[in-house]
Amino acid sequence: MDIFLQACVNGLLMGGFYSLMGMGQNVIFGVMKIVNFCHGEMLMVGMYLTYMLNQVFGMDPYLCVPFVAIIMFGLGALIQHTLITPSLGTKSFTNLLFLTVGLGLLLSNGALVIFGSAYRTIPTSYARTNISLGMVNIPLPRLISFLVLIVISIALFIFLKKSTTGKQIRAVSQNPVGAEVVGINTKKIYVLTYGIGTALAGIAGSLLTGFYTIYPTAGASFGFRALIVVVVGGLGSIPGAFFAGIFLGLLETMVALFVSPSYSDLIVFVTFIVILVVRQLIILRRK
Amino acid sequence: MKKLIAFLGVLAMLLTMVSGISFAEGDTIKIGTIYAMSGGNAAIGENILRGINFAVDEINAKGGVNGKMLEIVQGDHAGDPQTGKSEAERLINQEHVDVIMGCHMSVVTDVVAQVCTINQVPMITAISTLDMLSNADHEAYEYFFRLCPLNSVYVRDMLQYLKDASEQTGEEIKKIAIFTDRAAIGQELIRCVELFKDEFGFDLVATVDYSSNATDLSAQVLALKQADPDAILCDSYIGDATLFVQTLTAQNYIPKMIVAKANGFTDPAFITNLGAAANGVASVVEFNPDLINGKEINEEFKAKYGVNMNGHSAESYTVVWLFKTALEAAGTTDGTAVRDAIAALEIDGEFPGGRKIILPYDKIKFENYDLAGEPHYRDNTSASVAIAQVQDGEWKTVWPFSFTDTQILYPAPLK
Repeated sequence: MDIFLQACVNGLLMGGFYSLMGMGQNVIFGVMKIVNFCHGEMLMVGMYLTYMLNQVFGMDPYLCVPFVAIIMFGLGALIQHTLITPSLGTKSFTNLLFLTVGLGLLLSNGALVIFGSAYRTIPTSYARTNISLGMVNIPLPRLISFLVLIVISIALFIFLKKSTTGKQIRAVSQNPVGAEVVGINTKKIYVLTYGIGTALAGIAGSLLTGFYTIYPTAGASFGFRALIVVVVGGLGSIPGAFFAGIFLGLLETMVALFVSPSYSDLIVFVTFIVILVVRQLIILRRK
Repeated sequence: MKKLIAFLGVLAMLLTMVSGISFAEGDTIKIGTIYAMSGGNAAIGENILRGINFAVDEINAKGGVNGKMLEIVQGDHAGDPQTGKSEAERLINQEHVDVIMGCHMSVVTDVVAQVCTINQVPMITAISTLDMLSNADHEAYEYFFRLCPLNSVYVRDMLQYLKDASEQTGEEIKKIAIFTDRAAIGQELIRCVELFKDEFGFDLVATVDYSSNATDLSAQVLALKQADPDAILCDSYIGDATLFVQTLTAQNYIPKMIVAKANGFTDPAFITNLGAAANGVASVVEFNPDLINGKEINEEFKAKYGVNMNGHSAESYTVVWLFKTALEAAGTTDGTAVRDAIAALEIDGEFPGGRKIILPYDKIKFENYDLAGEPHYRDNTSASVAIAQVQDGEWKTVWPFSFTDTQILYPAPLK
């Protein structure tokens, strides 16, 4: 029983990261209808930014989060403005696919050149502090990360629902032409959303450094899981992505516990395909 | 006319080749080395070359071999078997090397060994550990010898360590578990443990794997915790090795013994990244600076190159001494005579006119034998690895007991 509870907690803590990644991806997809294939690499950039802030200024990794978020937002906005917005005009999916894939390769190889292939960690005094709650054990860094990302998810949700800019973002996502007609500057919204998406990935990266190793290809497996989250949670849906991320984290640990860790990836991907097929069938029937 | 020129050209080439052969008996003895000196594995090649150069300088300073100086002729296989093959042919046909050592990757070694056997040039590999290099398919590679232990011997020694450890810890190991990468390295570990576990009377209670660069290993750690083994054997790349040890403490599970098959666990970043949490983790090593017979040479080596001798440099160093001893026994550089001399070599404790064997075993002899029911040819049957354990943030040799004075830290504190 205690192993089961522990696995639940582990799944939940990990799932939070998948959620955050998926939500970032979904903000971008919802507005621009493009899949951001360098989302994982943005997470990696966030990790290295945190690492540098820690090395240069001796900042605690969690204290770095707001700074990383701001820098990543700027980076995302710049990329959107100079590279993606011009490509959007071409209406070519392949063009954007190659652009974001290429950006991802550029970022991970850039990190390789600058930082080398070494696996780095940021040691903290509380890295090995565990909090015991009856039968389960929660590592402190993971708990802090989880709490921070819950706060950020809620903030994002409220921002999109209530604020004027959030409403504009939703308007563009529902009908870009209509939004432009009523006077919303869609290009500005594009820059804003890509910035937010990148910042979310950067935050996830920053939060991971408390207990994960930093290396140039660290983003790949998270980027891939973000895609699963987006597809399972519904393209463009923020709450969908949130719950799908938690679901994915729990599914991974539960399969590992009840079947075998060897099959955890396999079953996750099979579930992913099953969900895709079933949803397709439902949509067809409705038509 | 063109035909005549072509004919003359071929004639000229033949003449240079023939004259080349007649001048092959020069005033130096040439050792050809084939390692990756460029590309992703260049750093490994550099360590190997340090060991080789160290031995050559030492031997030449004492007057060389049979009155001739040793000379290194470098080849570069850049990690590619085809390049390895052409480099071997170049070294043999153009540079007229007398013996060859190499390579770093077993697949390249395989091809080069073939070229050496065809050209009757003796070859010893210092570091190629893949079992198949000496199996029945390679029986005919008569000019090829292997100094280092085989992959499966690495694992057999890990199990032997677990068995012997009870002498110091007072607790018998019965249940073992495997934690490893799902990729080839993991499959190899699982295969080898299956091969020997019954011989040692161990019960394999869990085999837990993951895919490389895992995002999370807590499920794996819980599976190990549930199986509750007395010792965990692992093989992982550095990222996963770090995450594994971190996850162990995060999940409040401190296994009594962790023995790794080197790889990520012996990466310098492992201790740097984990700090005190690495204390107690043990791993296979081919050489460690605190080995009883290695201390002295490591001091000199460090003074010269500014880095510690590692397994690759120590094994390559030893191969140069083997060539020296065999060349002296043969009294000539004739390929067949030298091959026979290598086959007849028997180094007991120390090299004639040289140091003690600096590796964690005290005998070198190339023999044909059976390993786990499979015939193997021309391997150094006494080869074994040492086990080192992280103690106070440093790798300390703890096994074989006769090669160290450090005691095993038990149970592993991981803090």
